[in-house]
Amino acid sequence: MSAIHLQNLVKKFGDFTALKTMDLAIADGEFMALLGPSGCGKSTTMNMIAGMEEPTSGKILFGERDMEGVPMGRRGVGFVFQNYAIFTHMSVRQNLAYGPKMRGAPKAEIDRRVGAIAEMLQLTALLDRKADRLSVNILQRVAIGRSAIMEPAIFLLDEPLSNVDAAFRAVMRTELKQLQRQFRQTMVYVTHDQLEAMTMADRIAVMDHGVLQQVGTPLEVYNNPANVFVAGFIGAPGMNLLRGRPAESDRGLVIDLGPLGVTPPLPDNLAVAVRAGRGDVLYGFRPEQVILSDRGLSMPVTFVERIGARTIVHLGQGESAVKAVFDNDVGLAIGQTAVVAPAQASVRVFDAGTGCAIRAGG
Amino acid sequence: MSAATAAISEQAPIPEDNSHAAHANPALRDEGAKLGFRLTLPAQILVLFIAVFPLLMQLYISLTDWSPLSGLGWWSAWSLWNNFANYTDLAADARFWSALNRTAIVMIVCVPAEFLLGLALATLFADEFPGKRIFYSILLMPMMVVPAVAGYMFFMLFQSGGPVNDILSALSGFPVTIAWLSDPTLALIAVMVADIWQWTPLMFLILLAGLVGVPEDQIKAATLLGANPWQRFVTIVLPKMKTIIIIALAIRVIENFKIFDTLYIMTGGGPGVATETISVYIYKVTTQDLIWGYVAAIALAILIVLSIAAVFAMKRMARAREVTA
Repeated sequence: MSAIHLQNLVKKFGDFTALKTMDLAIADGEFMALLGPSGCGKSTTMNMIAGMEEPTSGKILFGERDMEGVPMGRRGVGFVFQNYAIFTHMSVRQNLAYGPKMRGAPKAEIDRRVGAIAEMLQLTALLDRKADRLSVNILQRVAIGRSAIMEPAIFLLDEPLSNVDAAFRAVMRTELKQLQRQFRQTMVYVTHDQLEAMTMADRIAVMDHGVLQQVGTPLEVYNNPANVFVAGFIGAPGMNLLRGRPAESDRGLVIDLGPLGVTPPLPDNLAVAVRAGRGDVLYGFRPEQVILSDRGLSMPVTFVERIGARTIVHLGQGESAVKAVFDNDVGLAIGQTAVVAPAQASVRVFDAGTGCAIRAGG
Repeated sequence: MSAATAAISEQAPIPEDNSHAAHANPALRDEGAKLGFRLTLPAQILVLFIAVFPLLMQLYISLTDWSPLSGLGWWSAWSLWNNFANYTDLAADARFWSALNRTAIVMIVCVPAEFLLGLALATLFADEFPGKRIFYSILLMPMMVVPAVAGYMFFMLFQSGGPVNDILSALSGFPVTIAWLSDPTLALIAVMVADIWQWTPLMFLILLAGLVGVPEDQIKAATLLGANPWQRFVTIVLPKMKTIIIIALAIRVIENFKIFDTLYIMTGGGPGVATETISVYIYKVTTQDLIWGYVAAIALAILIVLSIAAVFAMKRMARAREVTA
């Protein structure tokens, strides 16, 4: 009933294409994050689901029902705005009661529903406060409550944490996730913050330049990025990518990285897939999955960031710059040469021409 | 506008209040206060001469029988002291009360009409439509016409052989020859039409500014919660515009109370006294009867009434701002 299907969805603003042929299926009760940098089309997608904007072409289905021509007030979606859009001239109670009241629900029923939702969101004590002097976390709860009282099958959240300072964001992330468990609705969450997406979402849809890049669980997206954009965007810092050419050696298939030397041999199943591809490739590995070793890539240390629990070591320069993240401290200083080896299982290879991942066979 | 300015300056923060926090050292604070006094002195003197002095002079003359024909300088008017006769006369002056009454009628018709038309136009112009910029300019034009010119224009329009009757003839198919400006009721209507024509644009402009200031996402939020356009207007747009509506109404009420130039050129207050508003009455007493002591008393009485209205409006506004801020 409350599953969402986007089929060949396209949105153009004049000559500018904000969204290029998007296909996405969001399951009933799923928490889906739309993640991407600004201007990637995630908010446009969200606005079209809500009915604030009409798609140029393509279909939006809620369950089996085509939403074309259904005005936003009738779609049964709850929407939490970036700045919450609380009605500041009303009390918390009036905010919560707004939806049922506009639909002409009887007063006794409105009171009952407001009472119930306030209880659930711990707003009971604040019901008669004016909404213009509330802290952000309360505003967020009022915004959610105001939508939730309508019992929408679908909840849309547009970067609700972007106005909040970092320390508070962690608290609100937990709170939001708990709320979603309580309501059990389909949630679509737009964000440019990968941490929010990774921690809260069941699945993440990564977008860039109006194109859906990859859909998957947080760990799938992190471990098996579909292309170089996702590889670089997910993770902090993003995946290391080094340009090279596949070459046979007596130990197996390696990647010849030019001046950096050759990589350790690729795992067999990956080697099969890469061998079939030939041309230039990008050799990728996570900064977190690097060990200091005596056999590997030998590179100069250019910078060391010590941030307590982790140490980020910058190696090499320009095209061949690489970052390595270590738990605790490592005895490396600027100017020294480090020999690093990526953990074999974490190595990913991308086609240098298309940017697409070359998946390991079998 | 002096009533309004007086009310505003009443509400202005007292500078010394702020300096407490800034200068804990009393010596420094005194020095700051002294400097502040010196810096504002020229402005204070100016205010004294343009507001306080004429007001006191008016009060002084209003208590006497002084007129420019009395042969005395105004400062010697005390010799013509008349024991508040001007004020007792005023209370019994039927022409004054009827002029006041008529002014109130004009205000009660014109201000709401201008408000509703202005609001409707502002709502229309808040959205995009083809030719918006051109219509916008055309709409603002009446406001820029010199009131005297507007008066003459409407004087011509409402002649018995004028365009208004021509249009009515064409629409009805009968020759219409209404003598608009010589009929007591129709003359008042004609005068009000001219006022509405000229001042709806101002109302429109102020209300449009208020309307575009209503947060769009709150309107979207209301829409998503199922509110229809009328519900959105009543529950979101109007409450958010409260302050600006009060300002617009206050400006027009005060200005409309002083309605004079257009009206005087159209009818001269006539026929008889049928369109004689308070300003026209004062003008006639000043220039024809030359009893200036009495004029001063009338003007002062009106100033007091307007000031009370302005203070009331400001209070409402301050409260509205508290609510909507």
